[in-house]
Amino acid sequence: MTTDTVWLSCGVLRAEMEALHQRGLIKGKLLFLDSMLHMDPPALEATLTRLLEKDADTPRCLVLAYGDCCSRMLDLVRRFRVGRVNAINCAQLLLGRDRYRQLMHQEAFLVLPEWAGRWEEIMQHELGLTRTVAHDLMRETRSVLVYLDTGLAPVPAQEMAAFSAYSGLPWQVEVVNLEIMLSQLLAAQNEAQTNPLVEVNFP
Amino acid sequence: MVHRDWTDRLLDTMISSDRTAAAEIISQALASGIAPMLVITDILDPALVRLGRRWEQETLSLAQGFVAAKIAEDAMLRCIPERTDQYPTKGVAVIGNIEDDFHSLGRRTVALFLAAAGWEVHDLGNDVPAEQFIDTALAVNASVIGASAMMQTTALNIRRLRELIDSRGLQQRLKLAVGGAVFNWRPDLVAEVGGDGTARNAVNADELFMRLQSAARAGGRP
Repeated sequence: MTTDTVWLSCGVLRAEMEALHQRGLIKGKLLFLDSMLHMDPPALEATLTRLLEKDADTPRCLVLAYGDCCSRMLDLVRRFRVGRVNAINCAQLLLGRDRYRQLMHQEAFLVLPEWAGRWEEIMQHELGLTRTVAHDLMRETRSVLVYLDTGLAPVPAQEMAAFSAYSGLPWQVEVVNLEIMLSQLLAAQNEAQTNPLVEVNFP
Repeated sequence: MVHRDWTDRLLDTMISSDRTAAAEIISQALASGIAPMLVITDILDPALVRLGRRWEQETLSLAQGFVAAKIAEDAMLRCIPERTDQYPTKGVAVIGNIEDDFHSLGRRTVALFLAAAGWEVHDLGNDVPAEQFIDTALAVNASVIGASAMMQTTALNIRRLRELIDSRGLQQRLKLAVGGAVFNWRPDLVAEVGGDGTARNAVNADELFMRLQSAARAGGRP
């Protein structure tokens, strides 16, 4: 059964998903969507819906490695009876709820490895934040940048230093192993296996 | 210069995200003899309402929205001390992001707009347990609680707050306003989480809170 699992994941977790797959800890087919869809939740929802509708008549196990990234994510899970990791976002998936809350109460701005290399594209071009505005915005709501080091690539010190200068916040590294993420994925797989993929018509 | 002209100039600085120029306009308005209260009600508030329309039409970026909120905060900090000495508050409100929710920008903006409209606001911050909302509301004699959530999963945590209000028999005395991006995308969530009402943006929060407060004082449903 496990070899038939389809893991549909945000591209922000590509390296982590591939590492778990290569280590034989998750088995099946990996599918990734562009992580920039996170910037456009309606587009993400439409893309996920299209993919799930396409496979609706194929009895197989499908797991969404997504947080609550669009307004109807939970409805998609119920409608198509797929599994989904129990996390509100990718950072919480890596850290677990308790550590995530601790860091958020410390007003941390969490930086995932895939995101670190494109911070400039997102902050300046997607969000339109000039350096001055970014300084005000970030310092108003955050106290520190925390890079989540999953150990699959060198810590991008140069990029983080540049982001630190741009945001006016210091930065630090949080070492993260993939155990929490793996347990969430396997729990979601179990959920999907007990509710095989089939579209349910809601009134 | 009529107040409308001051508003136009202030709105321009908000749209161009020019906080310094906005502060200068507020200084000039006060120096010209306009009372601080009128700066808020006749100059700042109309600018914020027009800005809110642009936000609804999605012609405003996150950056512009943030700077506009900061401009409003700057103006209020300069004008409110004198105003509060002279005018009673409209009522008391307790607001916060529900447990597990850390998206503070919308909540902070609502706090600002409510304060500008004359409310005494107790902002509990992010990740607030249901019990804390209620205990604080009772302690400060508020009749409206505002719970904010950005996402569906965290919005569903508001159900716990609804259940507590009801189980403690406070549904007539305490009204529950809910808000956040997810409620705009799917208004059906308001009923699902047990909200007594919502507003599409911070500009409309005053009207919603007034309506809910009236209902609470009347001891009935909104």
